[in-house]
Amino acid sequence: MTEVTRDLAQFDRIIDRYEKTEESLLAILQDFQREFHYVPEEGIRRLSEVIGVPASKIYAMGTFYKALSLTPRGRHTIKVCTGTACHLKGAPQILEALERELKVKRNGTTEDGEFTLECVNCVGACAMAPVTLVDDVYHGQTRPSKIMDVVKKQVGS
Amino acid sequence: MGAIKSVEQLEAYRRELAAAARPELPTVLVCFGTGCQANGARPVAEAFMDVIKEQGLEIDVNVGIKTTGCHGYCENGPLVALRPQDILYLKVKPEDVPEIVEETVKGGRVVERLVYRDKATGEAVARYSEIPFYRHQQRIALRHIGTIDPASIDDYILAGGYAGLTKALAMKPDDIISEVERSGLRGRGGGGFPAGTKWRSCVAVESDVRYVLCNGDEGDPGAFMDRSIMEGDPHSVIEGMIIGAYALGSHQGYIYVRDEYPLAIRNLTAALEAAREKGLLGEDILGSGFSFDIKISRGGGAFVCGESSALMRSVAGEVGEPRAKYIRSVERGLYDKPTVLNNVETWANVPEIILKGADWYASIGTEGSKGTKVFSLVGKVNNTGLVEVPMGISIRELVENIGGGILGGKEFKAVQTGGPSGGCIPERLADLPIDFDSLTEAGSMMGSGGIIVMDEDTCMVDVARYFTGFLVEESCGKCTPCRDGLPRMLDLLTEITEGCGGEEHLAMLEGLCDLLTWGALCGLGTSAANPVLSTIKYFRDEYEAHIRDKRCPAGVCKALITYHIDPEACTGCRLCAKNCPQECITGKRKEPHTIDADKCIKCGVCKDVCTFDAVRIS
Amino acid sequence: MEKVSVVIDGRTFEAVKDRCVLEVAHENGIYIPSLCYNSEVPSSGGSCRVCLVEAHQGGRMRLVTACNYPVRKGLEVKTDTPLVHRIRRGVLELLLARVPDSEVIREMAASEGIAEVRFRKDEGENERYKCIACALCTNVCAEVVGVHAIAMTERGADKKPATPYDKPSEVCIGCGACAYACPTGAITMKEKDGVRRIWHRDFQMVRCSVCGTPYIPQAQVDWIVSRTGKDRSFFDKCPDHR
Repeated sequence: MTEVTRDLAQFDRIIDRYEKTEESLLAILQDFQREFHYVPEEGIRRLSEVIGVPASKIYAMGTFYKALSLTPRGRHTIKVCTGTACHLKGAPQILEALERELKVKRNGTTEDGEFTLECVNCVGACAMAPVTLVDDVYHGQTRPSKIMDVVKKQVGS
Repeated sequence: MGAIKSVEQLEAYRRELAAAARPELPTVLVCFGTGCQANGARPVAEAFMDVIKEQGLEIDVNVGIKTTGCHGYCENGPLVALRPQDILYLKVKPEDVPEIVEETVKGGRVVERLVYRDKATGEAVARYSEIPFYRHQQRIALRHIGTIDPASIDDYILAGGYAGLTKALAMKPDDIISEVERSGLRGRGGGGFPAGTKWRSCVAVESDVRYVLCNGDEGDPGAFMDRSIMEGDPHSVIEGMIIGAYALGSHQGYIYVRDEYPLAIRNLTAALEAAREKGLLGEDILGSGFSFDIKISRGGGAFVCGESSALMRSVAGEVGEPRAKYIRSVERGLYDKPTVLNNVETWANVPEIILKGADWYASIGTEGSKGTKVFSLVGKVNNTGLVEVPMGISIRELVENIGGGILGGKEFKAVQTGGPSGGCIPERLADLPIDFDSLTEAGSMMGSGGIIVMDEDTCMVDVARYFTGFLVEESCGKCTPCRDGLPRMLDLLTEITEGCGGEEHLAMLEGLCDLLTWGALCGLGTSAANPVLSTIKYFRDEYEAHIRDKRCPAGVCKALITYHIDPEACTGCRLCAKNCPQECITGKRKEPHTIDADKCIKCGVCKDVCTFDAVRIS
Repeated sequence: MEKVSVVIDGRTFEAVKDRCVLEVAHENGIYIPSLCYNSEVPSSGGSCRVCLVEAHQGGRMRLVTACNYPVRKGLEVKTDTPLVHRIRRGVLELLLARVPDSEVIREMAASEGIAEVRFRKDEGENERYKCIACALCTNVCAEVVGVHAIAMTERGADKKPATPYDKPSEVCIGCGACAYACPTGAITMKEKDGVRRIWHRDFQMVRCSVCGTPYIPQAQVDWIVSRTGKDRSFFDKCPDHR
């Protein structure tokens, strides 16, 4: 997947929602993530310019916080919850099944750019373990033999 | 109504709301917590709206439909509670709705098939308050959850909300701190530090600026009580923080919420907005002359940000790296100003303590741990969900009486408390009272309140490896013991679970634990040894089985197990063979099948699909 | 300057309140090893953990990093106890496993009696080579030079100093302060034919008009001139010929 050159106005629209202080950096980066499904390099450079914070610092945040990704993610994101309760109730098998079916390793994106497979450390829905999120829709009591059906049903493919 | 300008006005408004309320009318309460929504609560709520609209019931019997926060009994969601009958229906589907309306809302009769059944006796229990899961609870922090609409500030005020604040505004700040000190409230985020003492030392520092922070970065896997409070009763946290700010002379607060809790962020944001509109936040709160506001700060998916100094850096818009706590944050915290940071549940307790008094609160719980604690009871237990009980209840009571015992009648092996900083406590110590000090003494800790129940099918070495792996991913990387020690610890544990561990592995693990405990920079590292040390201490035999006999007694560690089919139980239905990704299961229809162990990748799909429990692990 | 008296290894010293234990000890001839701390760099320290010492205060004992623990009244420090050495050995063993090629770490480990590590080594596994992720370089760049060309990126075992996207930095001035400050010599700075290469970027060096030695990057001269208003001709000669 190649980087698309974006109009700076797209970034400014998001930046303008917030006070132009360092305190807003993480929130703005998260909005970039939601908007573009990753944090684009031009976004970081633009943010550095507008808020007056070194680009190296913002880039470091991008690499530190798991909610942010510096490389484009798939059109759909599957998050396997690997919290303790989910782990005990079979999350590792769910993850393996998805890796096998999608032919992708965790934190990877399928070749067609359709799915990104991630792990998330506890989404706080432990009572329904094991939990898998497809594009932020929660699915509880998922099973390795059924998980792909759940995914396909939701994304309608 | 616009801003409320005085305490008297607020009380008058509360009376107005009470006069307009008609508690005798039927009310349908659909739980809208993360869990119930995941189980399909939204279509259920919509179905109620449709039926009510269709039948014109608004005029007829005045049905109020509310969506509430999390009741805590998530695995049985979507939950629907009905008032005034005090009935709780479990696992409600949209197609059940017309029947519920017909039978219960209009007719006052119980729909038997939707009520709770005691797993042991099979007895039906329709009344919410009589279900064992709820019967043993005493709800203070969760006082409004499941009964009010988190999106409605009026609901909160009608239920007695902001009365703690009005009482506090009439007190001297110093007396408020004394009240919190006398209540014995200890930090509910896990550290158990006395909240009043923290406030007192913050006030003692000379400064014109102070901050109050709320830690909503509930990162412990297996814990979701803070999520439920933020989603289901956001005003209780806000009210607690306003009281704290008034006592401390702070004018700016922050709530730091995990990015993984979008619903909590949404509900808190709306609640803050509503509180501002009502004049409960912002300039000149209730005409008292005191001004205070709160911002929400979204986390970015980093467990270490639950650590206070890392959280403060993250709030300030930096990488969440902890710093040495040689100077406490009550002296130099956020932006180097005196800062009080308490967790969600701690703040939610404050309004009740002020309203009902320190003596009332201190009369609950144990000598050293006052009040109640919210636990998330999860894992291999029959009833999973949120539970609020007085401190001092034993692990066994929690697991057996409230949790209804172990799933599938299996053997109770251990509970894990305190998340990655906590440890495992074996069944033989299950009569231990749950309070801060007893758990620490047993080599675990209270942590934020996750209680994860483990049974005979849980491998304790795998559990230690799981938590270590979690921490490897979450270490910020600043200090050597954590950054480089945890991956080495994970190597050793992985080798043990793969059957390549030797006797020296245990000694090396213990050495790394010692190094982390003494040498790491922050709490993530200094407590990282707990899962490993506690499992070595209480379940050394399991480690030895892996090391000496190359055997995983619980049948979990992949390298040490094989899958096979019990010919007695197999009916030859072909289901496993059809689903096997390796196509390594053979056998004719209606004859017992066999698994080719050489090709088997131990993915567990066959066991998952088999309806006859014929797939065995040895 | 408020003075307090502090006890280190049984001897009593007068010291300025809130100064760090490490400096007070060093000034009084008591050796405590350290890697990630530099007194000129405000935020440095606290990361490598080789300077851990016992701090006894208010009836409790804990291990603290001497480089950022403030001396206060009633503090007693012990730098040479079995616990201190045990933990120091543990730290050095990990560092040695991480950067087996670093001479500095090898020597420091040897002085604690460690020649071999019992863990998997990181040899050839990554490009970290000699870096112990102590952040001294990034702190120098940010706080002393004021350029912020590099920052500590990633987290956990992957933590490393880097320019954004590992690309040639647009703001780096090639001054090399990071490389000089690095305790393990992990930052490569090469010079050839009047060109310095650091952080993936080439810097044209200014030659001394007297001896012809290329001694300072043009970018650094521009930076100093723009910040201080110093006369550009000042940099025509190297410090030896000014």
